[in-house]
Amino acid sequence: MAKIYTPAMEKIAKKNAKRKKPRQSTPGYEAWKRFKRNKTAFVGLIVVGLMILIALLAPLIAPYDYQAQDYTAMLQAPSAEHLFGTDALGRDVFSRCIYGARYSLVIALFCVLAAFGLGGGLGIIAGYFGGKVDTIIMRIMDVFQAIPQVLMAICIVAVLGNGIPQLVVAIMFSAMPTMARNNRAAVLRVRSNDYVEASQAIGVGQGRMIIRHMIPNAVGVMIIYLVGFIAASIMMMSSLSYIGVGLAAPTPEWGLILSDGKAYLRTAPYMMLFPALMIMITCYAFNLLGDGLRDAFDPRLK
Amino acid sequence: MALIEVRNLKKYFPVGAGMLHAVDDVTMDIEKGTTIGIVGESGCGKSTLGKTLMRLHDATSGEVRFNGVDIAGMKMKEFKKDYRSKIQMIFQDPYASLDPRMSVGQLIEEPIKVSKQLKDKHQISKRVEEMMELVGLAKRLKNTYPHELDGGRRQRIGIARALSLNPEFIICDEPVSALDVSIQAQVLNLLQDLQKEKNLTYMFITHDMSVVKHISNEIAVMYLGQVVEKCDAKELFKKTLHPYSQALLSAIPVPSIHGKREKIILKGELTSPINPKPCCRFAPRCPYAKDQCFAAEPKLRDMGNNHQVACHFAGEL
Amino acid sequence: MEQKDKLLEVKNLVVHYETDEQVVEAVNNISFHLGKGEVLGLVGETGAGKTTIALSLMGLLPKPQGHVIQGSIILEGEELTNKTNKEMQKIRGNKVSMIFQDPMTALNPVKPVGEQIAEVIRLHQHVSKKDALTKAMDMLKLVGIIPERYKDYPHQFSGGMKQRIIIAIALACEPELLIADEPTTALDVTIQAQILELMKNLQRENGTSMIMITHDFGVVADICDRCAVVYAGEIVEQGSIEQIFDNPKHPYTVALFGSIPSLDKDVDRLHVIPGLVCDPSDLPQYCSFYDRCSEKCEGCHSCDPKAVEIEPGHFVKCLKYTQGGK
Repeated sequence: MAKIYTPAMEKIAKKNAKRKKPRQSTPGYEAWKRFKRNKTAFVGLIVVGLMILIALLAPLIAPYDYQAQDYTAMLQAPSAEHLFGTDALGRDVFSRCIYGARYSLVIALFCVLAAFGLGGGLGIIAGYFGGKVDTIIMRIMDVFQAIPQVLMAICIVAVLGNGIPQLVVAIMFSAMPTMARNNRAAVLRVRSNDYVEASQAIGVGQGRMIIRHMIPNAVGVMIIYLVGFIAASIMMMSSLSYIGVGLAAPTPEWGLILSDGKAYLRTAPYMMLFPALMIMITCYAFNLLGDGLRDAFDPRLK
Repeated sequence: MALIEVRNLKKYFPVGAGMLHAVDDVTMDIEKGTTIGIVGESGCGKSTLGKTLMRLHDATSGEVRFNGVDIAGMKMKEFKKDYRSKIQMIFQDPYASLDPRMSVGQLIEEPIKVSKQLKDKHQISKRVEEMMELVGLAKRLKNTYPHELDGGRRQRIGIARALSLNPEFIICDEPVSALDVSIQAQVLNLLQDLQKEKNLTYMFITHDMSVVKHISNEIAVMYLGQVVEKCDAKELFKKTLHPYSQALLSAIPVPSIHGKREKIILKGELTSPINPKPCCRFAPRCPYAKDQCFAAEPKLRDMGNNHQVACHFAGEL
Repeated sequence: MEQKDKLLEVKNLVVHYETDEQVVEAVNNISFHLGKGEVLGLVGETGAGKTTIALSLMGLLPKPQGHVIQGSIILEGEELTNKTNKEMQKIRGNKVSMIFQDPMTALNPVKPVGEQIAEVIRLHQHVSKKDALTKAMDMLKLVGIIPERYKDYPHQFSGGMKQRIIIAIALACEPELLIADEPTTALDVTIQAQILELMKNLQRENGTSMIMITHDFGVVADICDRCAVVYAGEIVEQGSIEQIFDNPKHPYTVALFGSIPSLDKDVDRLHVIPGLVCDPSDLPQYCSFYDRCSEKCEGCHSCDPKAVEIEPGHFVKCLKYTQGGK
């Protein structure tokens, strides 16, 4: 009997006819194809991109200076003039939130890099060398992990004082154990693959093994953790600022703006609503993006 | 002198409950240009034997002599410099043993680059193409990735990688067990052709009796880390002496409906190779086990015609 | 033939897997039947569609990709293809059971094996918990495991023992039809011999019909009454094992036999089937074996041959036999 055609097959035949030339199928391209199919992750990517754009173009977008106080327009509700209203000092909350994106994203990025450099590096070393090195590093990490993250961050800031570098150090240390654990797991997973043994068999040395085989294969998983961690550190930073141990006023940081509004929660709830929304949307977008990346890089891991 | 001489090779792994005797006192010679088949069930130590010979594991004790030089005891640096390229391995799973982020060309050029046998880019690329042609991979596949290819082609990449260093001795660890029969035949033929062309010596590790019979000159049957019977390939099928080998041979499902052999169904399963007792390791499953089998460990002894067997009652059964 | 003794009849079954990227034509117009107490072997290489056939019989095609495009599956006079999932649940495990390939993952690791067997019994039969457990212990005894071990967890058993437990679960409700998907592939030869022996005996005692899916002609010769050779989602040849083994007709079957290293004969070189299995998402209009066939003729490229009965019960799907000349 002749071949049976179904509507689904005709649809795909049409699609293939439109496509000019099949692209080279590299592992990266396959991952991108999977990512594109994931709609929620794509939304996450767009929102994250938008946030980055806002941070970059903050002076162009913000209608007012984030520090400019206008005593004639204090505690105003959202209007065409002041989209998110104004605070107790008459500062435009919209402009502050826009500039806040700059602070939050940049600081979060530094936190991630620092935590990855320290915790991630230790994790990779522990995972690759194993044995005693692994035991020593991971037991130290266990000690750190026994202290609640926020509490540890508060302690560090309390010792070091307020300021952006101090905040970065605090978040770095609180995130270090998790980072080390994740990266160690990623390296261990790659190390257990047969091709590592096969590479040893053809004489590949330790350095080449790490650089050519382990890192390229583990990097997908590591990026996933990193993206997820950006959301976590934005949250952490905001919480620290909110309870007053993070950045000092008048820095337009989302947690601080939120904190400024708490006294006026009854009379001017919008003062808290908008910065809270910014935090929520950004974190959610980063998490969506992280999940999407995970599915794209590693379709087996779900 | 044989190309490879293995003398009292032992490989133990420390595990929670004691010592796992993965390879226990194996002695064998492998002549140049021949194939020795190692058969046995999973957990009998056949893969560990192969990996110990090529120093992916360090031997617990014993010697492995390559052209008369002990390579099991030498420093890793020296081994890497002089012997790594002479002993190569083809792995079982042709998918897992290839780095998924490397293209076919990169995979085949890697051993050449690492060994520094060739340095000029142009020469390396020429060599890669030669290797691809040798194993029957079309040149246009050079930039494709392993996930786009089928199992047979992937295994050809594995073979090209092993051969690109011009080795003398190749350990084939179940190279066809993950492949379909029609593809399996292609790979087996390729391995045989290469052997003739380059006078290669193979150690062929497998659990498949019909494959091992087809490709080997000599066969060693392993059970729980020990060689229990070793002889010429044809002889093993004509005159099987060890009760385990007999059971193994009778258990193979034969694709024929005539002249069915009586099957020997063994009781139970492999006993543990952790801290084995000094008795015949097959005794608990052996249909002929007598008191002596539980009292003393049988040693390999020659039954004539270079047929070695480790059984107290070999020839009497 | 013996129409009244037919347990299962599959007619013109077509199964596709549809995704956004491609349509995989996994099963293409397959027809076969199975008599009561009969054992049918489905032989073929990886990706030939053997497992898909089994899953569509069980109503377990992966959703949302798997679709039965056409055809019918009739079990004891009941049409299965238009049954709802709920109705199929009553049939699965009760009338039709399946043994999966990998014994390591098919058992629940945190439940004692006795309870896992009893669970199936209680699901399909109205018995008390105690009775079900007694029955479970009987089942364990039947497959050669000491019934006292019913409290043990899967990890306390070896691979062969686990496969025995899975067989016990599959047979617990005395199904009419047992589908075994490569039940011994993951096992060592001596254990494989034990399991095949066990299945053969149980099948004979209970008169269960069985479909044995395998890639190993040795297993087929051992246990089956009839055999169907599957290639690219089609049955290219089917018949009794005497017909297939002694008188293979389809070029694929012949080539497949030639590529198995023989234990009895010595050959210098193995026979090779050139080329690769064709891409199931891009099957040709003509005979799907054409590109690898050593006996192809001009006509083969222009049409897809129908299966013809060349002797009673022996069907071949090849143009050579369609044109009359034997």
